[in-house]
Amino acid sequence: MIRFAWRQFRLQVLVVSGLLVAVAVVLLITGPHMAHLFGELKNCKSKNDCSFLTTAIGTSNSDIDNFMTATNLVFPAIIGIFWGAPLFARELETGTYRLAWSQGVTRSKWIGCKLAVVGVASMVAAGLMGWMLTWWSSPIDTVNANRFGTQIYDTHYIVPIGYAAFAFAVGVAAGVLWRRTLPAMATTLVVFVAARITFAQKLRPDLLSPVKLVSKLSRAGGYGFEQTPNGLHFIVGAENLPNALVFNAVVKGKHGARVTSQWLQTNCPKLLIHVSPVGGRTGVGIKGNGAPKAFSECVDKIAANFHQVLTYQPASRFWPFQWIEGSIFLGAGVALCAFSYWWLRRRVA
Amino acid sequence: MSSALAAIDLGKRYGRKWALSKCTLDIPAGRVVGLVGPNGAGKTTLLHLAVGLLRPSTGSITVLDQVPACSAQQLGRIGFVAQDTPVYAGLSVAAHLQMGAALNASWDMQIAERRISDLGLDPKQHAGRLSGGQRAQLALTLAIAKRPSLLLLDEPVASLDPLARREFLAILMDVVAEHNVSVILSSHLVADLERVCDHLVVLAASRVQVNGDIDDLLSTHHRLVGPRRDLDNLPDTVHVVEASHTDRQTTVTVRSVDPILDPVWSVEPLTMEDLVLAYMGQAEQQRRDLVRLKGGT
Repeated sequence: MIRFAWRQFRLQVLVVSGLLVAVAVVLLITGPHMAHLFGELKNCKSKNDCSFLTTAIGTSNSDIDNFMTATNLVFPAIIGIFWGAPLFARELETGTYRLAWSQGVTRSKWIGCKLAVVGVASMVAAGLMGWMLTWWSSPIDTVNANRFGTQIYDTHYIVPIGYAAFAFAVGVAAGVLWRRTLPAMATTLVVFVAARITFAQKLRPDLLSPVKLVSKLSRAGGYGFEQTPNGLHFIVGAENLPNALVFNAVVKGKHGARVTSQWLQTNCPKLLIHVSPVGGRTGVGIKGNGAPKAFSECVDKIAANFHQVLTYQPASRFWPFQWIEGSIFLGAGVALCAFSYWWLRRRVA
Repeated sequence: MSSALAAIDLGKRYGRKWALSKCTLDIPAGRVVGLVGPNGAGKTTLLHLAVGLLRPSTGSITVLDQVPACSAQQLGRIGFVAQDTPVYAGLSVAAHLQMGAALNASWDMQIAERRISDLGLDPKQHAGRLSGGQRAQLALTLAIAKRPSLLLLDEPVASLDPLARREFLAILMDVVAEHNVSVILSSHLVADLERVCDHLVVLAASRVQVNGDIDDLLSTHHRLVGPRRDLDNLPDTVHVVEASHTDRQTTVTVRSVDPILDPVWSVEPLTMEDLVLAYMGQAEQQRRDLVRLKGGT
């Protein structure tokens, strides 16, 4: 049965293998040069050389990197559409299930074998794709130091395998419910993209509760005043922690107090704080030669009375995040396959 | 004698519509059975239930004394050719035979290859490029080479031209003679069945109308023609299947084990086609009566 499952699946395997080979060729041609640059970077002596090499690694292959990232992002969808959706839909659509299910193999075994063979192949293909890109882009990834970014997190290591398993299962389920290939393919695309976007934007940031780092006011990420409907606020930009997922930085005093217009009027008299009587609109202004000095004195005062709270997911959580997200998608995929198995055995034909 | 197919109060419902209902049937093994009925009578439903593609909504069915599709071994004993003879369009003829070999423990590759070469099919040919007749032959080959005890064929010749139809049935008869298999063959073309079948099941309006060996059926069914009269004074042993009246004459199709001796009637024998049409007509009449009854209340 496994051999026959492979035989039926041969054309699709050939097409996707062709895609994998094409990607491998591009990466093998461009990879060594980048690895060479990276080797130089590790041994670079002068600061100028180092920054030149850093830029060279970051920019020389950015087109290929973007293209490969895009390929890796859509690859699970391709698996779902071309491997998952037709798996049973085509049999049901063309009526060949009547031939298949009257052979000397039970329906359970036939369904189970096809799910296992193509499902595992989906995960292997996605794993290979991700692994090739991981190998190739490791210099860029090291230089960019942004492991939670889409270019690394969504296309490397474990999560692509989970995505592929999920996309495959969505395709299979859509196929057995629609019993027609084309609508099943369209449904697969829509459901997969919606699930990925929702997860990445709504669920991923809170997979583990974020770390809050309380520190002295940092001036590295930029700072300034911001006008809000509630009055004037002093804000700092979140500094970029290498490979971490930084959400925001908030300036807070004791008991969570914020820097308010009133506080500034009292403590920074040299700054002109306007509080408009109508609607409470505020503005900040500085006049004359002493302006920059007045501003920096005021910031010093703020720094003495307030601290900053940085909310982020530390770099060390990259692997837990990969495992958790990958497992969730894989688990959803397994559940969908179980549903399709049950549905085909009990409800169809 | 063991039975090829036995059903007790078998029914299959789709939503609120019954595709087959109250079907009680016992077909002995070793027969070539014609399953006849108009389109939509439930023939395909019955065959799908028999091969385990469908599960009954009510009642039970056994095929070769086992529940359909209960095990790989049971599936291996049934050769099924579905309606429109589905095959994998993208696979070659040879790949189909490999599939049969991989999926059926009792597969006989010699039989399969000999049949393909007898038919003059190119093993490398994709099944999608075969003509309707060739496709039906391939489907039949797949069903036969697994060496089944029972062949179930769902309108295998419906889409074939007369020549291909005759050839298909001739080959089927050879197979039956050679391998000693039971056959249940559905069709709405009585002429085809007449040539090959020795047992008849008429299915109409989701019910079994008649079931029996054709020789028995033909010897116990008669057409009576006589002057117009009431049918009440026919003997109790005579069962009226269908009756029609003109102003002067009454024609009745009856089933009776005893010979009809009343000299008022001239007794004519029935052909198989007459018999089938009479039972299908009866079912249609009952359906109309039912509709009228419902309309009246």
